[in-house]
Amino acid sequence: MTLLSVSGIAKSFAGVHALRGVSFDLLPGEVHALVGENGAGKSTLIKVMTGAHRPDAGRIEMEGQEVVHNTPERSRALGIAAIYQQPALFPELSVAENMALGFESGGLWRRIDWTARRTRAKELLARIGARIDPDAPVSALTMPEQQMVEIAKSLGGRAKVLIMDEPTASLPEHEVGNLFRVVRELKAQGVGIIYISHRLDELYALADRVTVLRDGQSVATRPMKEVERPELIRLMVGREISAIFPKREVKQGDVVLETRGLECRASGIRGVSLSIRAGEILGLAGLVGAGRTELARVLFGLTPATGGQILLGGAPVSVRRPSDAVELGIAYVPEDRRRHGVILELPIAANTTLAILRRISKGGFLDFGRENALAASYVEKLAVKTPSIQTPAGNLSGGNQQKVALSRWLATEPKVLILDEPTQGIDVGAKAEIHKLMVDLAERGLAILMISSELPEALGMSDRVGVMRGGALVGTLSRAEATQERVLALALGHGEGAAA
Amino acid sequence: MLAQALPHAERRPGVRFVPTHERILAVLLLAETAVFCVIGRHFVSADNAFEIVRLSVEVGLLALAMTPVIVTGGIDLSVGSLIALSAVLFGKLFRDAGLPVGVAAVLTLGAGALAGLLNAALITGLRLPPLIVTLGSFSLFRGLAEGLTGGSDSFMCPKSFLFLGQGAQIPVFLVAAAGFWLLLHRSAIGRGLTAIGLSPEGARHAGIPVGRRVALVYVLSGVVASLSSLIYVSRYTQARADAGTGYELLAITAVVLGGTSIFGGRGRISGTLLGLFAIAILERGMKLADLGDQLAQILVGVLLLTALGANALLEKLSTRRAA
Amino acid sequence: MIRRYLREWSVAAATLTLLLLLALVKPQFFSGQNLRDILVTKAYILIAAIGMTMVILARQIDISIGSQFAICGVLASLLAKWGLPLSLMIVGTLGAGALLGALNGALVAGLRLPSIVVTLATMVSLEQGIRWITGGEPVRNAANFQWLGLGQTAGEIVVLATSAAVLAAFAAGLRWLRAGRAIYATGSDPEAARLAGIRPAGVVFGVFVLMGVFSALAALLNGIQSTQGDPTSGQGLGLQAIAAVVVGGTAISGGRGTLFGTFVGFILLAVIGPALVFLQVEASWEKAIQGTIILVAVASDAINLRQRRNVGASLAAR
Repeated sequence: MTLLSVSGIAKSFAGVHALRGVSFDLLPGEVHALVGENGAGKSTLIKVMTGAHRPDAGRIEMEGQEVVHNTPERSRALGIAAIYQQPALFPELSVAENMALGFESGGLWRRIDWTARRTRAKELLARIGARIDPDAPVSALTMPEQQMVEIAKSLGGRAKVLIMDEPTASLPEHEVGNLFRVVRELKAQGVGIIYISHRLDELYALADRVTVLRDGQSVATRPMKEVERPELIRLMVGREISAIFPKREVKQGDVVLETRGLECRASGIRGVSLSIRAGEILGLAGLVGAGRTELARVLFGLTPATGGQILLGGAPVSVRRPSDAVELGIAYVPEDRRRHGVILELPIAANTTLAILRRISKGGFLDFGRENALAASYVEKLAVKTPSIQTPAGNLSGGNQQKVALSRWLATEPKVLILDEPTQGIDVGAKAEIHKLMVDLAERGLAILMISSELPEALGMSDRVGVMRGGALVGTLSRAEATQERVLALALGHGEGAAA
Repeated sequence: MLAQALPHAERRPGVRFVPTHERILAVLLLAETAVFCVIGRHFVSADNAFEIVRLSVEVGLLALAMTPVIVTGGIDLSVGSLIALSAVLFGKLFRDAGLPVGVAAVLTLGAGALAGLLNAALITGLRLPPLIVTLGSFSLFRGLAEGLTGGSDSFMCPKSFLFLGQGAQIPVFLVAAAGFWLLLHRSAIGRGLTAIGLSPEGARHAGIPVGRRVALVYVLSGVVASLSSLIYVSRYTQARADAGTGYELLAITAVVLGGTSIFGGRGRISGTLLGLFAIAILERGMKLADLGDQLAQILVGVLLLTALGANALLEKLSTRRAA
Repeated sequence: MIRRYLREWSVAAATLTLLLLLALVKPQFFSGQNLRDILVTKAYILIAAIGMTMVILARQIDISIGSQFAICGVLASLLAKWGLPLSLMIVGTLGAGALLGALNGALVAGLRLPSIVVTLATMVSLEQGIRWITGGEPVRNAANFQWLGLGQTAGEIVVLATSAAVLAAFAAGLRWLRAGRAIYATGSDPEAARLAGIRPAGVVFGVFVLMGVFSALAALLNGIQSTQGDPTSGQGLGLQAIAAVVVGGTAISGGRGTLFGTFVGFILLAVIGPALVFLQVEASWEKAIQGTIILVAVASDAINLRQRRNVGASLAAR
């Protein structure tokens, strides 16, 4: 008997089709993997299943009964639980309390039975073999422990369906095995698990079936054993890589940026040595949590290095804060566009000049004329679609916001440009424009470090591809050598033995 | 590739700060003035106008300095107490230490800067919430003033200094208003302050030195409070430990009434000035109409709530329209 | 247990050290009479601090309690003067406090206005309002109002017993009632609380109403000790209550703190003034010392948190 099934689910946001017809089913005691590239629709699908979004079309059935008007409360009552990368727990409250809130009946004036809470917590934690003190405040637990608490909590809610979104993304290597054990425990207890992950090795170790999402559609559902990795990747990508990217041969100059044994204890970066020449695009691939954004943040001074060296034009430099980086000519376009890339409430013009305030001022006072002229020139150069340069950045589409973010950093006339997922969540047209822009910039002598989780993009745009894993740079492939398999292999640590 | 599914919390941000609020306030101001012209004794006179401005300078200076503080998303509750502490220090410097008045005044301003620096160090250095830090310094500064005067001592203002309170404070205020306007609305630093108020992390990622900027506004707040205390001493002709009681709240009221958002990122000096005069005219007018101090204050409270409520309502309507 | 409430125990330790020093230098401080005097005259601050604890736990703040205190104090005196029986007078006063609190609650929870500004506005209006209505004149208390007609000793016992009972009751409620835990959850993360079936707006409204009741109770416990109801009283009560709460370890960001901490914070701050008198230090330094204690308390909180966070970060990186 099918546990959960969705068919023909469609969902759009403001004209953007996030889901265009997804069908999927889950059996009890099954681990069903859900794969797809960024933007394929995985998060949206989860939100539809947990009731956070109402689908525009399609049908959801739980244990044979149709679910009309799904809401978070309803889906929880039906036994659907989701665990995300960021634990949704109350940090100041104890483990037992976290696991109890939301599941206790009775009114406001009901007396709390702490013993019962503690016992229940202990039981649920034991069911997944987690040795955690129920009285400990959640804030004192490590990430893996918090994850265990979340899993145990959903069990307490008598979850029949457990959705796990990138559960190993923030886990250190040695904890992954523990998680797998828990997943197998849950399987044995009849819980159906939807497992979303980029880490193909994990999927081959755990999953019974796999469904591939691409461009908002479910393109295939196969038993895990029957599909080989290359075919899986092909299904995810669905097209030949070469046709898409406007990469041209660019004459490379001297080494602009170099790092030697770069380390940052707080963010887990260890011994990274790389170099980028003028005119070169160095792609940086790796799985989520491999340390790519952390490396970028070290280079930009957001989390200063605790060891090793950064050299610009051959000379060692010190980057203790972002203003140092800007001064040195290092620019960073962050991954979180809406929170860090632009300031939503500020107009385009103000966003564009935010990193060069001194340069557009005379004697400390802003030169609005220069600001507007500069902003207008970038709007034109990057083809930003906007009624005016005074429009708040929050009113623009994702692609145009990214262009504004880029404008800000291009205005600093950097020597090194670090792009963190530059085309994530952007429509095809804008993506192409940004890629073309990148090549133009390389031709003009910029050294570009491009972090990308989209393998086709990383392979198509880069002169060389560096691969990170566990905070270290585990390999660098030339454009000729780089294939998706090789990159994935390095990213997964293949050959060294995958996680158990 | 599809656009990423929009997070469910996405909304178009509120209308970029349009001075509709200020327009409403300006109308209110005119209405007030009109009412008091009718019911107040001698309301319509150059003398009265002069008095209104003269009496508002002390709170006005605090309000001017409070505006950038609130724009960065912070608050400074310690300025009223700092007036007292500065006044007492000033007194001790010229009376007990025998320093010339000018020197004492400059040192007092320096003390104000140090006080602001204390707040700044705790707020930016230790990342403590401004509300609690300035609540603590609110207590500490007033406490130091009380301790230094043994609770009862007071200092007579030296004759050479009286000029400041008799009218010379008005040009000081105008210069300060111009200065803060330039800082907040025309300078690179001011743009940085607005960015910090809207999104401290966003500002940091743009290379803005957030710690230094925030420290600046609190130091300025301290210096301005000391300046205000000099004017206070001159006007009241004496300095006591109870000086400036309640002034911080009046200043905050003026700022919020003027349309500055308590959450940061949105604030205008012109709004603060309007708010300040709305309150000053209300108080002065009530006094001249023999309607009593207290009623004026009650109305100020009601005015504040109405202004906030109206603002919240306006914002809700504009976000719904833009969506 | 000690590790869980480390913060509260450290404040307790500091307080005990201070008291010990005092016992060595000026043992007269610990005469039953003196201690009773201090506790009885300052009990109202503790009551206010109990209410404030819940407000801050819910991630709000209320600086208008001084004016609530003044209004309820005058009202209580008036009700007694008008001949109302004791029980009605008490109910009436507490009810008035609830209404005043409900005003704040409605504006904050209903209109989603920030609590600092709302309570600033209500404070100004109410403070001036009561002065206006009474013309600033205190209300002479009826003979049976002072000490509730029980005489000083019995009256003092009533004050102390009520304070202790309320403290115990609410400490229990915060720990043992779902309503109490709802306050913690709301202050910790209102969205997550909503998903867990709690109504954050209801909780916020509730803590403000409660705060009003506590202000009224504080006014009663204070008012029965004097011969008149003073409309200008209560100034600084807000700060004193917040100080006790914050020094006692409750986080201003909500979700974390205990009444045990508030009690210890209250004791520490209450003892300073009288201790100064006994040590023949000028009493006028009391406020300065209190301010320093507040700053030291929150500063050490921040330093502690930072150390803990750095440890946590390096753990995750491994």
